[in-house]
Amino acid sequence: MTTGTLTQRPVGTPAIPGVVTLIIRYIGLMIVDAFALWLIFSLINDGIWELAVAIAAITLLVNVINLRPQLKPLRWMSPAFALLALGVIYPIVYTVYVAFTNYGDGHLLTKVQAVQLLERRTYVPETGVRYSWEAFLNEAGEYALWLTDRDGNAFFVIGQGELQPVSGEIPETYQGFRRATRAERTRLLTVAASQQFGPEDNRLSVTRDFVAVLAPRYRYDPSTDTITDLQTGTVFVGNDTIGFFIDKAAYEAALAANPDARPNDFIMRIEGFPAGVGYRTVIGFANFDRFFNSPALRGPLISIFLWTVVFAFSSVATTFALGLLVALLMQGKFVGRRFFRTMLIVPYAIPALISVVTWRGMFQPQFGVFSQIIPGLPNVFADGTLTRIAILIVNLWLGYPYFMLICSGALAAIPADLYEAAQVDGANQFQAFRFITMPLLLVSIGPLLISSFTFNFNNYTLIAAFNDGNPVIADSPIPAGQTDILISYTYRVAFSGQGGADFGFASAISIVIFVIVGTVTIMQMGLTRRWEEVSRNV
Amino acid sequence: MRNKIVAFLLIAAFAFGAFGTFNAQAQEATLLIWADDTRAPILEALAVKFKEEFGVEVRVQQLGFGDIRSQVKTASPAGEGPDIFIGAHDWIGELSKDGLLEPMDLGELTEKFAPAALAGFTYEGVLYGMPYATENVAFVYNPEIVKEVPADFEEVQKLSAELVASGVVKYGFVRQSGDPYHFFPIQTAFGGYVFGYEEGVGYDASDLGIDSEGSIAALKWFEGMIAAGLQPAGVDYDVMHTLFTNKEAAMIITGPWALGDRLRPSGVPYAIAPIPGGGKPFLGVQGFMINAFSKNKELAKSFLLDFVAAEDIEVTATGKDGVERTGTPMALFGFDRPSAFLPALEKLEDPDLIAFGMAGAEALAMPAIPEMSSVWQAWGNAVEAVANKQVGAEEAFKTAAEQIRNLLK
Repeated sequence: MTTGTLTQRPVGTPAIPGVVTLIIRYIGLMIVDAFALWLIFSLINDGIWELAVAIAAITLLVNVINLRPQLKPLRWMSPAFALLALGVIYPIVYTVYVAFTNYGDGHLLTKVQAVQLLERRTYVPETGVRYSWEAFLNEAGEYALWLTDRDGNAFFVIGQGELQPVSGEIPETYQGFRRATRAERTRLLTVAASQQFGPEDNRLSVTRDFVAVLAPRYRYDPSTDTITDLQTGTVFVGNDTIGFFIDKAAYEAALAANPDARPNDFIMRIEGFPAGVGYRTVIGFANFDRFFNSPALRGPLISIFLWTVVFAFSSVATTFALGLLVALLMQGKFVGRRFFRTMLIVPYAIPALISVVTWRGMFQPQFGVFSQIIPGLPNVFADGTLTRIAILIVNLWLGYPYFMLICSGALAAIPADLYEAAQVDGANQFQAFRFITMPLLLVSIGPLLISSFTFNFNNYTLIAAFNDGNPVIADSPIPAGQTDILISYTYRVAFSGQGGADFGFASAISIVIFVIVGTVTIMQMGLTRRWEEVSRNV
Repeated sequence: MRNKIVAFLLIAAFAFGAFGTFNAQAQEATLLIWADDTRAPILEALAVKFKEEFGVEVRVQQLGFGDIRSQVKTASPAGEGPDIFIGAHDWIGELSKDGLLEPMDLGELTEKFAPAALAGFTYEGVLYGMPYATENVAFVYNPEIVKEVPADFEEVQKLSAELVASGVVKYGFVRQSGDPYHFFPIQTAFGGYVFGYEEGVGYDASDLGIDSEGSIAALKWFEGMIAAGLQPAGVDYDVMHTLFTNKEAAMIITGPWALGDRLRPSGVPYAIAPIPGGGKPFLGVQGFMINAFSKNKELAKSFLLDFVAAEDIEVTATGKDGVERTGTPMALFGFDRPSAFLPALEKLEDPDLIAFGMAGAEALAMPAIPEMSSVWQAWGNAVEAVANKQVGAEEAFKTAAEQIRNLLK
């Protein structure tokens, strides 16, 4: 890559076209920056720091690239860089980060969000009065309220004026105001946040059910990381180890009496947050610890891992073999070749999910086509081995067109003179295939075989849609299926565990899977390198 | 020069950003509601009426019923969630764990709702939703084939054997597989349970009843059905109803959702009865919930309590099935399930819905405790393992109970 045309332009040349591009570039950059800033602001507002920092860094990078003349060659790449960073690198980094947190149900909110939620809560102080209310409206669209307290004392209040004692039945009109309809009463609530009545020392807020002086219920003090319940006076302190706010005094008292007291027993439980006010926090290796010490690992993990490898390997082998065979057949000249080739691509053109569900229907033991034509075919879905075979057949159907297409292309690229030379040397068809076609084919197809292996290693769609990993492993310590592969097992473990989703735990497992897949891939890369050496010798 | 431009750029961008944030806050109060494809058309008709009469805009977004739960969890903390969403009562354990639900007070409207429906939406003594409909499975049979409803499941087996032997049908009673929800009424008919339940207190997660005597007895009965060749394999919802429609099966357990979807269009005679042997189905309650992150909570409450629950408002809505209906909002919401709103339930004329409602008179609210999600899979696996003849009944439920205890640890 050259260092750009800037240095090549003779100094002093008027840069008329340069000004236009400059303005376009600056406007574009401005829009990007404005959007990024807005995003960063709102993310910080919600306490989602990770993403805010990532977007800030990426925006900064894009700005630097587009403003520094030395980096001009990178300018057209900068959108790609930004998308790569945001769409590929950030999710990876984030997954790793999440694996070390307790992110999941019960700890879904960030601390900032949890505090925001609490700080919006209000209560009626002990000295306050709860009034039931009726709305009144005048010509100008101003509201007034007719308030009645529990003892039957009534007041009329216009806007932020004084409370005037009134009595008797609620009239239809009063002081130039008429009684509001139900709809108008509701409409008052649309502005409830700003709609306050009464004088400054007795400022009343309107809710659907009552009118009263409302005070904030909770106050958060960031310096001590404590939430004070202003109604009861209880102080709660954030415990970042467990990701909950806990009752400070009670925990400290318990700790003094018993050094083994657990903070989990003093979690802040309030109405609307019955399981405790939890938030996201970093918990170190706890997720990995849980995985390696869980019954999930002692249980069926080894058999699931073996099936995953067998499944991925067999899938690649069968699809490649059939794809290559069809590609070789399609090399010949015969009537209807184009038609057949088109038809053979059909499985590739249909969305995989639909194909899988269709196949599932065909294997159905009551009405499925296979049980109709093969009398005595047992219920495929009830038998682990049969389900596995069925899955491989389905995957063969789904996968062979891909290799057929790839092989067709790769075969066409093999020079014809090699075959002529082989013929001259007296090689037969099989020898030509074995010593010319295969090695040359594997050089170009090898990486695709690996990617296909990796894809099938994590082929959640097929497994989940075909039989959801079932039939079950009957004696497993935690629920698992005989056709579960690692990724579908991860899903089971992470999302059906102790009540809802546990993203931190799921991330930890996916990192473990990544390590496994990575190891396998590196081993296979070594294998392709061998093929390349073969090709050099041809 | 360049420095000045850069400075200008930053300032302009900052202004843009600040304006964007400010602008987002200065919107007029509107309501956003998330609903599934059955309720969304009704809510859209209600929205028009609400705008007309109350002058407040309501937007309705349609999501898959099951997606609402997960989307609420993702969108709400970021401030993009709905103000109101519809859902099932058994979500509240999980959603309240995340602090996403606004407690509700129905005030004087409380007595207008079916107590069982309110109990469903109550968690740890706090009400988290306004129910609109209930649902439960019942015993559905073909009255041309089954002359007398069997008294208990032993009778069901006897009748099945007789019908099959006489060649009237291929199968007598057929159970829908795939989830233990449809097995639960059989389990309770034999005295089994899932979690201990105490009136007024709720479910006790420490009292697991999967391996209780009654539960195992129910599974043993089912094992007997399979051993006698009276149960086909791999029967999902579609297969079960196809068997029933083709008169190849005479008795099934299904819910009101099958009425418009299968039973009525099929033209096959059907009758609805309570579960034999006093079996209690799960009661599912659907209702409206208010998002704790909503900025218009008071308005949302008013929409639900003053408008949706009003008895003097009539709306005309064209449902998902293309049928136009007119009625109070709550009556419209209860068009395909028994309404949870007593004034609407009293006016119910649909004999099928009334029959389903009667079959659910003793129903047990589906547990909303978060521990339940650990139970479904292990429990269902055990029933399937028996259906597939992989293990015996006793061992299957003992294993399931152990799995659940492992998960709940």
